[in-house]
Amino acid sequence: MTNQTDTAVRESRFSLEAASNYAVIVAFVAVVIFFTFAAPGFMTGENIFNLISNKVVLLAIVALGMTIVIGAGGIDLSVGVSIDLSSMIFIMMIAAGYMGAFAVMGGLGAAFCVGLLNAFLINKLKINPFLATLGVLFIGKSIQQLSTQGGVPIYLTRAEYAAPFDAIARTSLLGIPTPMIILVICIIGVYLALHRSVFGRYVAALGAQADVARYSGIRVPMHMSIVFISCAVLSGITGILLSSTVRSYVPLAGDAFLLDAIGATFIGTAISAERRPSVLGTLIGVALLAVMRNGLLLIGWNFFWQQVGIGVLVFLVLGLSFGLRKRGE
Amino acid sequence: MTAAAIEMRSINKIFGPVKALDEADLVVESGTIHGLVGQNGAGKSTIIKILAGIYRRTSGDVSVFGKRLEQITPAAIEAEGVHFIHQDRLLVPTATVAEAIFLRNEPRFGPFINYRQMNRRASELLHRYFELDLNPRTLISELSTAQQKIVQITRALAHDAKILVLDEPTAALVSKEVESLFSVLRRLKADGLAIVFISHYMSEILEICDVVTVLRNGTDVGVVDPSEVGIQKIVEMMTNRDTSEMYPRRNVEIGAPVMSVKNLTVDGAFENVTFDIHAGEILGLTGLLGSGDKEVLNALFGQIKPDAGEIILHGKKQKFGSPVDAVNGGVAKIPEDRRAHGVATGLSVGENMSLASLGQVSTKGFVDRKKESQVIDGLIRDLGIKTPDRHTLVKNLSGGNQQKVVVGKWLSCNSEIYLLDEPTVAVDVGAKVEIYNLMNRLAAEGKGQVFVSSDLEEVTEMCDRVLVIYRGKIIAEYKRGEIDADRLLAAASGTVAETERKRA
Amino acid sequence: MTAVEHAPAAANRGWFNSKIFAKLAIRLGAFAAFAGILIYFALTARGFTSSYNLINVVEQSTILGFLAFAMTVVFIGTGTDVQKGGIDLSIAANAGLCAAVYAVMMREGYGNFVAIPAAVGTGMVIGFFNGLAVVTLKIMPLLGTLAVMNIAAGLELTLTENTVVPVQSDLMNVLAFGRFLGVSTLAWCLIIGSALLIWAIHFSRIGLRLYAVGGHIEAARAAGIRTGAYIYGAYIFSGFMAGVASILIVSRLSSSTPGTGLMLLPILAAALLGTVFSRRFIPTIGGTLLAALFIGFLANGFQLLGISSYWVSGVQGALILLVVTVTSFAKKH
Repeated sequence: MTNQTDTAVRESRFSLEAASNYAVIVAFVAVVIFFTFAAPGFMTGENIFNLISNKVVLLAIVALGMTIVIGAGGIDLSVGVSIDLSSMIFIMMIAAGYMGAFAVMGGLGAAFCVGLLNAFLINKLKINPFLATLGVLFIGKSIQQLSTQGGVPIYLTRAEYAAPFDAIARTSLLGIPTPMIILVICIIGVYLALHRSVFGRYVAALGAQADVARYSGIRVPMHMSIVFISCAVLSGITGILLSSTVRSYVPLAGDAFLLDAIGATFIGTAISAERRPSVLGTLIGVALLAVMRNGLLLIGWNFFWQQVGIGVLVFLVLGLSFGLRKRGE
Repeated sequence: MTAAAIEMRSINKIFGPVKALDEADLVVESGTIHGLVGQNGAGKSTIIKILAGIYRRTSGDVSVFGKRLEQITPAAIEAEGVHFIHQDRLLVPTATVAEAIFLRNEPRFGPFINYRQMNRRASELLHRYFELDLNPRTLISELSTAQQKIVQITRALAHDAKILVLDEPTAALVSKEVESLFSVLRRLKADGLAIVFISHYMSEILEICDVVTVLRNGTDVGVVDPSEVGIQKIVEMMTNRDTSEMYPRRNVEIGAPVMSVKNLTVDGAFENVTFDIHAGEILGLTGLLGSGDKEVLNALFGQIKPDAGEIILHGKKQKFGSPVDAVNGGVAKIPEDRRAHGVATGLSVGENMSLASLGQVSTKGFVDRKKESQVIDGLIRDLGIKTPDRHTLVKNLSGGNQQKVVVGKWLSCNSEIYLLDEPTVAVDVGAKVEIYNLMNRLAAEGKGQVFVSSDLEEVTEMCDRVLVIYRGKIIAEYKRGEIDADRLLAAASGTVAETERKRA
Repeated sequence: MTAVEHAPAAANRGWFNSKIFAKLAIRLGAFAAFAGILIYFALTARGFTSSYNLINVVEQSTILGFLAFAMTVVFIGTGTDVQKGGIDLSIAANAGLCAAVYAVMMREGYGNFVAIPAAVGTGMVIGFFNGLAVVTLKIMPLLGTLAVMNIAAGLELTLTENTVVPVQSDLMNVLAFGRFLGVSTLAWCLIIGSALLIWAIHFSRIGLRLYAVGGHIEAARAAGIRTGAYIYGAYIFSGFMAGVASILIVSRLSSSTPGTGLMLLPILAAALLGTVFSRRFIPTIGGTLLAALFIGFLANGFQLLGISSYWVSGVQGALILLVVTVTSFAKKH
């Protein structure tokens, strides 16, 4: 019986449901068109370029990590910790005179450890990802406060430190800045992993029903570990890019990325009929947030109003995509 | 003549293009137990949901005790004294028994809930109707399934129910509990309540119902007295076909052993279990609830580690530390709870079916989508899975087709041994037949199957050999021809053990 | 099967007892740990047991307690599975917004009779939007309340422009410095607030039904409870509490100060920690009250012992992990 009713209801709602899949894309296009006309400086090559290299790159890499985690049915509240600890170790090693490459490895290693800790808490202690990573978020805050006398930033603005930072943040290949190349590599990597590989299928199964994955002979703990470590390391990359750009480590700076990364990923789920996270969706989510922030700034809204505006937009987009769809079930 | 308790006449319900109910009638008199049967999709749940106020009827009349009801809401129908005992045990797990019984009818003392009175009255009700001495402060989550069902019925009685609608009330009950439930229903009937009883179990319909309304394709095709016409006739009315087709025959040569289990022991669950599974064989494993039959399956699938004994596959001793090892060894499991463990309902048919065999359709970790779709489309055709295509989400498939997807998942990775844990539970007659056909097919392909079921009839009909397990030990083995339900039942309840003990 | 019987009754009973025993041990363990830490501080931290200090901690815990009560009520009405069930991430930001509304209105000379209803009303409107997101639009609570949190935080910033807005009023002096029967007004607020909520949640019909909605929404619906209204109610109540707490925050600090939003994590910690103090491992007002006090005493003891306050959040994090591990262990065994 339920089958018949399901199909019946589904068909009567078909148009609305299909429309809800495009809510995000429509919103994105509308926002871009609006700012093109409303903010004269918006649709210029220079602005778009700056927007991508300053705002999009950093957030997009974290959001890709979050996409993997949310795809596997989890959530990672500790991405800020991965960003910050990676940034902290990186800067401290540079300050101590280590070679740039070692410092990068040190930073990524720190992020790796955060991912490993998350994996341990989730796999071995069976804590649900929200609470496990929440705990790590608290602990990470303490670690940073203890290592920096309560949150004193480390600035390495003197010329003697410039070389490794410039190598990361100020070089380019064929006119494309290195951070952007790193982003493209991350996008391709995560896309292949999530949408083309066996690993991606396992992630989808974990996200849909972890027990089914277990009953199908999938190594659930191992894949969960890979998921959380990947997210942490991707966040670590953002940490290093961030530090290289501003040549400093500001404690707890990574927290700012958490909500945007979660927001972008979930906004992105709205483009798929099954509401699954995807690389494309997440990138649209990141772009939407970045364009909103930039456009609102250009039309003269201050930072505070931008936050309200973005909150309202996210609320509306989520409301459209969830509200229209769930009604049909 | 007084008005009928429930009188639903010419009910139509149209969902988009689908006519779920077509001029269906349901008339239930006070003081009777009225069976409502039909296959899944026949309209049982639709007509009940219309009565419950969950769906709105397209047309037709509904009267309760002669009072015509235009707009039905859940609260309004409850006010008329109609209570529904839903199939899912709809109880709050963290509530106490008393809280669950008196939810929305809480005795008060001023602005406070009178917990003392609530607990006392809950105890009284449980004792009066069920002769059950249950601490009313016990949490729902600590109760057995049967006790939870009893609490649900008690809640209806506490709210002065005049009409009870029970949707598959015995689905999770053991026989003693079914007996006590039936005696309560008979007493309630004697008290003049009208009871609507929906069940897939024909034997129960025969035992308890005075009248049965049979639904097929949204129409009532008959109102009969079950003791007069018999089960077979009712099933024929439901399915519109002959029941002799129920258990399809197979003719399969049984081959060499593919898996041997020797002295397998899991402390506290079963001990010294020894048997072989042959190619093409269906080996039944049956026992009472808690006898250890399910645990044997779990051990064979690597879900519990054996404390002693060995599992030998293709002549090699195996150590199954987890399902991963079992799957790699060619063992497949069709779990009892299909929706929780068998299929990921949010994934597509294709994604589900290739989940266990991605290694075979991928190179260097990347999925070869062409190869994958060939395998899957082949299986969909082969197994006759009714789905628009492989991209359809599994949640849009019927129960029987979902079960086929589970089997397809294992066929695609060439599993040799199939562990079937109650594969036909909670599916209708038509889907059952399809699952039996599937089992025969697996046998024909030379797969070995271990079949755990508590439905003795299907065990009798389907198995080449049956092992009966009692308190963790295999106490009897019957070959095809020797198997009959009474014998199995006697063995499962330990009668064989008693005689053997006497002999010893 | 036509004839099946229960697993041997004796074995069943034994398992049952050991499960109850494990639960009891953990619950007593939680109380013992709380008491043990208090005793440890009493013995080692000078001035810890002074009545001034104890009252000070209770006062500090009032604000955290009120906000944690709000989170607790949301948990009760929507279930404790923070990922799939309900949560209100906007509580702290909402309190910050209400504080800003109150402070700005006072600065503009409206007086308490207008400013307090305005602040509390603001909180309830924000709560209503959470309900709208979760119930009407069916957005996952984690996401819906996250978006609302951003809106509330943004509105707070636009009102205060990220500055301290100082406020002076008689009422605030009473709240901040007043005493009655030797107990300060803030402490009275906590006592009366807890008592009222314990009645509403644990001894009234509304509370019982709210638990039913959060415990098993289909069961509640089948029992004829209007579940949507209850969830709306929980979120609006949460907003109401944020409004009330905001008045206390402004009184205590004599100003509206940026950064109230940072309280979200301690609020979550208190509401989650509170579940170990309950027999059923569910959120309760009493449990949350104890947990809020516990967190307050912990921070206070650290301070008196001269341990860097930088440890506080780490210890809170570790506590959450410990509590969750232990309760999930208890639920399983």
